Amino acid sequence: MLHVSGLGKSFGAVRALRGVTFSVGKGRITALLGENGAGKTTTLRIVLGFLRPDAGTAACGAARLGYVPDQPAFFAWLTGRDLLDLTRRSLGAGRLKWQSRVRGLCEKLLFDPALLERRPGTYSAGNAKKFACLQGLAMGPDLLVVDEPFSALDPPSVKRLRDLFLELRDGGASVLLSSHMLAEMVRIADDFVVLRRGEVVARSGFAEFLSRFRPADAVGLEEAFLGLMRGEAQMTEPSGMTAPLGTTMIPPTMT
Amino acid sequence: MPGKNFFPLTARLAGLKLRRSPFTIAVAAGLPAFLVYLGLRESPAAAMKFFLLFFPYVFLLVAQDLAGTEIRGGGLENVLFLGGDFRRYLWLKNPALAAAAAAYAAGLFLPLVVWAAARGTFDAFSLAQFGLGLLAGLYYLALAGALSYFLQAGSNVVIILLVQAAALVSLLLSATSRSGFIEHLGDGRFPDLGSRLLLLGFASFFPNLIVSRRLLAGALAVGAGLALALAVQKALLRRLELHK
Repeated sequence: MLHVSGLGKSFGAVRALRGVTFSVGKGRITALLGENGAGKTTTLRIVLGFLRPDAGTAACGAARLGYVPDQPAFFAWLTGRDLLDLTRRSLGAGRLKWQSRVRGLCEKLLFDPALLERRPGTYSAGNAKKFACLQGLAMGPDLLVVDEPFSALDPPSVKRLRDLFLELRDGGASVLLSSHMLAEMVRIADDFVVLRRGEVVARSGFAEFLSRFRPADAVGLEEAFLGLMRGEAQMTEPSGMTAPLGTTMIPPTMT
Repeated sequence: MPGKNFFPLTARLAGLKLRRSPFTIAVAAGLPAFLVYLGLRESPAAAMKFFLLFFPYVFLLVAQDLAGTEIRGGGLENVLFLGGDFRRYLWLKNPALAAAAAAYAAGLFLPLVVWAAARGTFDAFSLAQFGLGLLAGLYYLALAGALSYFLQAGSNVVIILLVQAAALVSLLLSATSRSGFIEHLGDGRFPDLGSRLLLLGFASFFPNLIVSRRLLAGALAVGAGLALALAVQKALLRRLELHK
């Protein structure tokens, strides 16, 4: 669904990305992990076409690409209903079917439909996030890109959104999540890509990640993650094991 | 994944923005009222003359904040949900806004033509003047559009108006030394290269003036300015990234 290859991006003297390579498979949820400033958002923005890479490519096979930003912003002169109606028109969807879909998503996201009559700029941070999710999900994306999906959301909404991502995946769509909320990622992600200082330091499935990339005393993902961030993780890949894309291990010492 | 119907969506989006701007609505409602007042108080010909000279400013009005706030505010990301890319959307705003302004201007021009014809004062040259006014308007739109990549809100329009005011004041203050040029403007004859170049420069500051029968030659400068402003916009769009 998405293949990112050798992405490089600099902002002035700052090298934000260096040779970032990973794939998001069809019907997979991929978590892009990393500390603040690791290059997660820059990667997402290149995937979405908002930024141009200095090097490399991001080839997206999605016919419908949805996006939920960390801090959503909207056309200031439109109400929530206007925005959704424009999306409906762009898709050529029927009005009744669309309204039913929106109603259903409002319910699942615990979003008050009455808010649709107001401009999203007047929403609380949590409701703005929910509305951005509503926009992204309503269009029925083949690939949904989400930056910090659970920020600003209360626990019941986090659970609902998590279920919606799983539902989307089970329907054959792909989801690329960028987050540093490890506990939530563990619950839903199929694959992990870990960035440190603009470079991929690990790509793997969850089990592989835990078993092969952890400091000697690490017992969970958080420890493994912190180990990678400190450059302490050890590569424990068994000898003779192949490492196809999606399960590739890159020792931090290479960075 | 640009949608096939992206222009109609762009036009709808731009149209909604215009309709929900109280200032735009006030001006759009005030201009016809003033033309009727002028036509009744003076003559339909006077109303027509005023309209032809000033309607290019309608294009300037619709060009306010064509890109700046949307780029820096992050709202432009929403174009993803309309099946299009943001560069294409910003580019298509030019024809969408031009069509809106031209339709509004035509809606005022036609009744004025009928009114003047009914009074027997209709001058066929006013049709050409309307066309020239459209050219001036397109120039305003493209120029203000290019400026809006650097400026936010309506400051792109304010800058153009301030530059016009400054140019006019400096022309008046230098009336003694430039008396020759002012006379040329009056009689529409520009005998030497210097005065012709001055006319081209003057027309690029005050494109509305090309509707005057005597200053038609300025249309060349306005046409060149339009092409240049669009080329600048295209170049800015190619480089544009959304950093928010």
